[in-house]
Amino acid sequence: MIDKMMNTRLFQWVDERTDLGAIIKSQLTEYPVPKNLNYMWNFGSLALLVLVLQILTGIFLVMYYKPSAELTYGGYTVAFDSVERIMRDINFGWLIRYMHAVGASAFFVVVYMHIGRGLYYGSFKSPRELLWIIGVVILLIMQGAAFFGYLLPWGQMSFWGATVITNLFGALPVLGEYLQQVLRGGFAVGDPTLNRFFSLHYLFPLLLAAIVGGHIHALHVVHSNNPDGIDIDHEKDAIPFHPYYTVKDAFGVGVFLLGYCYFVFFNPEAWGYFIEVDNFVPANNLQTPAHIAPVWYLTPWYTILRTFENKLVGVLMMGASLAVLFVLPFLDKSTVRSSRYRPVYRQMVILFFISVVVLGYCGHSAPTATLKVVGTIATSVYFGFFLLLPFVHKFEKTRPLPGGE
Amino acid sequence: MTDKADHSRRNFLYVAAGGLGAVAAGATAIPFIGSMLPAADTLAAAKTEFDISTVAEGQLVVIQWQGKPVFVVNRTAEMLERVKGHNDKLKDPMSEAADSVQAEWMDSDEKRLYRAIKPEILIVVASCTHLGCIPLFKPTAGQKDWGDSVPADWAGGWHCPCHGSYYDLSARVINGSPAPQNLHVMPYEYKTDSVVVIG
Repeated sequence: MIDKMMNTRLFQWVDERTDLGAIIKSQLTEYPVPKNLNYMWNFGSLALLVLVLQILTGIFLVMYYKPSAELTYGGYTVAFDSVERIMRDINFGWLIRYMHAVGASAFFVVVYMHIGRGLYYGSFKSPRELLWIIGVVILLIMQGAAFFGYLLPWGQMSFWGATVITNLFGALPVLGEYLQQVLRGGFAVGDPTLNRFFSLHYLFPLLLAAIVGGHIHALHVVHSNNPDGIDIDHEKDAIPFHPYYTVKDAFGVGVFLLGYCYFVFFNPEAWGYFIEVDNFVPANNLQTPAHIAPVWYLTPWYTILRTFENKLVGVLMMGASLAVLFVLPFLDKSTVRSSRYRPVYRQMVILFFISVVVLGYCGHSAPTATLKVVGTIATSVYFGFFLLLPFVHKFEKTRPLPGGE
Repeated sequence: MTDKADHSRRNFLYVAAGGLGAVAAGATAIPFIGSMLPAADTLAAAKTEFDISTVAEGQLVVIQWQGKPVFVVNRTAEMLERVKGHNDKLKDPMSEAADSVQAEWMDSDEKRLYRAIKPEILIVVASCTHLGCIPLFKPTAGQKDWGDSVPADWAGGWHCPCHGSYYDLSARVINGSPAPQNLHVMPYEYKTDSVVVIG
C-alpha cells in the first residue's frame, strides 16, 4: 500500500523537495522495533490518540464555552450556563463534552499504564534517561492542564478544588502569597482566575503536542526497550514498525475505544470518579461542599499532601514526590533493566504500584483516623522505593539475561 | 515473503478495512460538524412577535428578527400612491428575480405592487441587498428634505448610505443602484388583526 503511494509522481515531486520518502522509511517502514514487545507497549500510541481526541473535542467546545464568572438572570454564572447550554441546546454538545470529560480520565489511565510499564521493565535506564525525563515533563503538564480544565465548568468542585490548590502555593515561604495572587488574579478564586485558567488550559495542550513530538523523536533515537530489557540486534531481533506494530497498535485502539465509548455513552460520570457529583452544583464562594477531593488521577499526591501535619512540609513533600521522578534514572545503578531478571526490584516496584493505588484510594475518601494511618504507610512505601533504589544493586542477585548479553 | 502472499485477498482486506475506516471517520465527523449548526435555543429564537398597532401612520420602526434588522413601515394612503407609475425605473418591479424577494401570498399584481399582506404595513429585511448596510428612510418626495443625496425625480423610499443604492416605498430597487435585488421579504403571518409573527 505504502509502496504504491510512494511510486506516484505526486509523491516523487514532494519527496525531491522534503526527503519525505527517507523519513517514512527511517521512522515507519524500516524503523526497527523489538519483536518481543507485549501489550504493555500499546499505551504510548493510545496516549497520542487521546491527546488528539482531547485537542479536537476541546476546539469544538471552545466554540460555545464562555469563561466568565459574571452572574446571569437565572442566578447562575455565564460559564456554568454555557456548559449547560452545551449539554442541552448545542447539537451533539453532550457527546463532545462527555468525550472531553471522559477523555481526561482516559488520558491518565493510559499514561499511568505507560509510566508503570516504563518502571517495571526499566525503560527509564540508560540510554533512555532523557526520554524518561521528557515523559515526566509531559506528566506534569498533563496534570496542570487537567487542573486548569477542571475549573472551567465553574461548579462547586471546580471552585473549591481551585481554592485549595492555589492555597497550597500560599504555604511557600517569602514568595507564597505573591505566587497565589499571580495564580488567582485577586485575593480569592474569581472571574480573573477563570479567565487565566482558560487561557492556560488552551496553552498547555499546545505545549504537550510539541513536547510529545520531542518524546517520540528521543524514542526513535534510542529505540524501544522490550520486556526482557536487553539490547537487541536490529537485524535479527527487530521487525519494522509498519506494518507489524501499526496493526498491533490499531488493534489496541479498537479495544481502547470499546471501553472509552462505554463510558462516553453509558456512564460518563463513572460513579462520580470522572465528573464529581458536587460539580453539578454551581460554584458558591460562601459555601464549601461537605467533602472536597480532587479527581481520581490527582488523589495519590493529594494524600501525600494530607499526610503531613505541617502545611509547608506537606506541600514540599507533594512536590518532591513528583520531582523525584526526574532523578529516577540516576538513582537506579543496576545494569539489568527488566524486572523479569531483578527479583528484589520486582518486589519493590509492585509494592510501589500498590502504594500509589492505596494513596489514590485514601485521597478520594473522606479523611478518617484509620485512613490517615494507611495513607502514612503508603506514603512511606512511596518514598521508600526511591530511597532504597540506589542500594539495591549492591545485594540484588539478578537472573541471567537471555541471549548471553 | 511477498512472493507467497495472496494478493487478491490482501487487496480485499485493504479495501474492506480502509472503507470501514472511512465510514467510521465520516460518522465521527457528523457530531463535530453538527455541533457548528445553529443550536436548539438559537432555533427557538427564530420567530419574533410584533404588535403593528404601535407604529403610527407614516412611521418606520426597526425591529430584530434572528439578529437581523427588520423594517416595519405603516404607509399612509398618500405614500401608497407614490409606489405606482414608475415601474420602468425599477430593476424588478414584480419581485420575481429570486425566492427571497417574494412570498406565497404575492398572488396578485396589487400584492406585488405593495409587497405586503396588509397594503399599508410593509415588513422587509432591513439589509441592503448589495453589501448589507441598513438603508436610510427618506419617505418624502423630491429633493426638498434630502438635498442632492436623492435624484430629482425622487418619489420617496430608501437610500443606502454605503454605496448609494435607492429603493422605492415598496422597497423595490431602482435602476442604477449597485444593489441587485429588492429588499428581502421574510415569512410572516398575522396572528390577530394587529399582532404579526415574523419567521
